[in-house]
Amino acid sequence: MKLRILLADDHEIVRRGLCALLQKREGWEVCGEASDGREAIEMAKRLKPDVVILDIGMPYLNGLDTTRQLLQYDPQFKIIVLTITDADQVIREALDAGARGFVLKSDAARDLVSAVEALQSKRMFFTPRVNDLVLRGFLDKGHAISRNEPPDLPTLTSREREVTQLLAEGKSSKEVASLLNLSTKTVETHRSNIMRKLSLHSIRDLVVYAIKNNIIQIQMPPQPTTTTETTMA
Amino acid sequence: MEPVITMAVRILLVDDHPVVRQGLKTLLQGRPEWEVVGEASDGVEAIEKVNALQPDVVVLDVTMPRMNGIEACRLIQQKAPQREVLFVTQHDSPQMMREALAAGARGYVVKSNLARDLVEAVEAVSQHKEFTALARNTHVQS
Repeated sequence: MKLRILLADDHEIVRRGLCALLQKREGWEVCGEASDGREAIEMAKRLKPDVVILDIGMPYLNGLDTTRQLLQYDPQFKIIVLTITDADQVIREALDAGARGFVLKSDAARDLVSAVEALQSKRMFFTPRVNDLVLRGFLDKGHAISRNEPPDLPTLTSREREVTQLLAEGKSSKEVASLLNLSTKTVETHRSNIMRKLSLHSIRDLVVYAIKNNIIQIQMPPQPTTTTETTMA
Repeated sequence: MEPVITMAVRILLVDDHPVVRQGLKTLLQGRPEWEVVGEASDGVEAIEKVNALQPDVVVLDVTMPRMNGIEACRLIQQKAPQREVLFVTQHDSPQMMREALAAGARGYVVKSNLARDLVEAVEAVSQHKEFTALARNTHVQS
């Protein structure tokens, strides 16, 4: 029987590359491709894939919240998250959310097949740096992954995080309501609860919170090059 | 009716993510007369490979470690202006596009639309025609 994989990334070119990698393996098939977290959830429920691969930085619903929602729906889902960063906080959130694989996008060509194999045989897979962090955290105290623990913040519900992402992406309460099939009034209630819980005063504060907490990722302009000695022959 | 000319094009792919390079290769496979002659993962390596492999078209990412694509494009165009540079980037921005063209690029396409634009863009720039396409606006000029 074929191993069925669902792939979610907002960049089609990345999905093409990942598909090419995965389909080289005999007996593996990419049974669906999603371009955001909401679509991934809908497809996962419908297609019941053996493994779900989720990019973290996706529009509408990021990969971490998609992981949480999928595992809440069915704890049997096997999920690998793909990320461009191996910042401690992102790793910790991915582990907390219940992902069983964590692969850096830059290493995907090398690690993704191994990650899928691991999950297939009921093991976990983490990029080598994450393994180090997990082990260090275990040795240090059993659970703390990082020495730089953020201060305890009030926790948002799953729905509140979803609303936070959509508002931080610049959508109006009315647009959020339509996307989530809620009334505008309900969205506004969520919005004021979020602002109160997090002690925020403006949408600008909310955007900053969303970036700092990996709810949305921003696109940075290229940094000026520091290497000057390279010349053409 | 003019005969259809199929031209061999030698292509260098430059992006810091191997997965993206794999995706680009998959999209280019549709044209058997085109050949991906090499790959590079940053601007410095791109310049070395341009020297060594003499590709016709350099498909170049903007944001990369060590040396970004804009700087690499400038250097390539200074020393080897006959090579055509096509930017493939996530920056859906007219300002970045102007900067790329000012650095000597012949084409600019955004990553979100590559399935639509990549083959057409490589075709155009390999014939020294300008091809620019932001998410909502495509422009080809001979």
